Amino acid sequence: MNAPRSIDEYLKQLRRALADQDAALIQDALYDAEEYLRAEVAAHPDKSESDVLELIASTYGAPEEVAAAYRDTEAKVRAALKSPGAKVTAKSTALTRFFGVYLDPRAYSSLFFMLLTLATGIVYFTFVVAGLSLSAGFAILIIGVPFFLVFIGIARVIALGEGRLLEAITGERMPRRPLHPGPAASWWARILEMLKDLRTWTTLAYLLVMLPLGIIYFTVAVTGLAISATFIGTPLLLLGQHLGWVHWDFTNDVTLFNGVGSAWSMEHPVFSSTLLFVAGLIILTLLMHLARALIRGHARLAKSLLVVPGA
Amino acid sequence: MDDTQARKFQKDLNGGLVALVLLGVLGHTSEDLYGYEIAKRLQKANRGEALFKEGTVYPVLRALAAQGLLTSRVVPSYAGPARRYYRITDEGRAMLAQWSEIWRQTRGFVDRFIEGTDA
Repeated sequence: MNAPRSIDEYLKQLRRALADQDAALIQDALYDAEEYLRAEVAAHPDKSESDVLELIASTYGAPEEVAAAYRDTEAKVRAALKSPGAKVTAKSTALTRFFGVYLDPRAYSSLFFMLLTLATGIVYFTFVVAGLSLSAGFAILIIGVPFFLVFIGIARVIALGEGRLLEAITGERMPRRPLHPGPAASWWARILEMLKDLRTWTTLAYLLVMLPLGIIYFTVAVTGLAISATFIGTPLLLLGQHLGWVHWDFTNDVTLFNGVGSAWSMEHPVFSSTLLFVAGLIILTLLMHLARALIRGHARLAKSLLVVPGA
Repeated sequence: MDDTQARKFQKDLNGGLVALVLLGVLGHTSEDLYGYEIAKRLQKANRGEALFKEGTVYPVLRALAAQGLLTSRVVPSYAGPARRYYRITDEGRAMLAQWSEIWRQTRGFVDRFIEGTDA
């Protein structure tokens, strides 16, 4: 491979050398290299860019060397940071796998994320709709251009934060650095570049789609939690009343118990209560599994929309 | 002397040493430093001949930050992309003290044999 003679060429070679790696890692590596290369060029105002690049192989390292350093470090960091996850060690039966979800911190954080997405979805949706329509409205005014740039800038910061949150929850590798806007250029050049960048639009699409997804996630989570809490709680309340620990007139004020207290369950109070309790436990466990799988899929969706696909 | 073998030996040695040196640099300064500055300090310290390529500094910095030994903040820059400034954490200082002790012991042990004072 020819020695790179410009920053763009160097970054292109580095991207090629990392082609088999995770898109988020590539974004980080390109970011770091660009920080160094631009600082190095700026530190030698007397030399041309190609003269500085000529020496880069002996100082910063050739693209392949740098790529190898990232590969090694990434493997070590991944091993060190890996969440222990659900430990299904001794007897990996279907039953332990099914209930083992309670030992997996990711299941809890996924459930929490499902509840959170309604709020973040509303905020993102409002932000994008307001930002886009104000940008269109301001376009004929002098503040239109800076307004649009700031709007896209904030959208990128949100995208980075969303990525960090999802990496913490699911372990899916996301960028640790924002995508920077590139070398200083005129306002117009920047705007054109943003408009041409497919990722600008996929990021906005992700922020928009978070509202409907958030509504679905929130509804599923709340419904599942409410049903399982009722199913698990009712038999316990009835038991408490039977033992004289709880004094509550179920027949009058709690309509829910009227349904539960059908003729059949009145005749078999122990059996029906146990059945309800077990059903509640199963529903709760299924919900935990669903949350974990759903948010793992969501992280992949986020990655495909928020991270630059390998070019 | 075979140059590639010498380079390979240096690379194997550098494995953990880069992390120790970076913790050392950040542990002995009161200011926050960004990647390029750190790389240049290392280069200057060895009369312009760095023992390792400056490109290897960045991934190690990120790894140390991911382990909580360093914290970082991003500051916009006119020269190019925003710079990430690093600062050592208390956990990082504890690790630096521990690693320095291991390094001193290792160095003393190795020196005793290669200088032949204890053979």
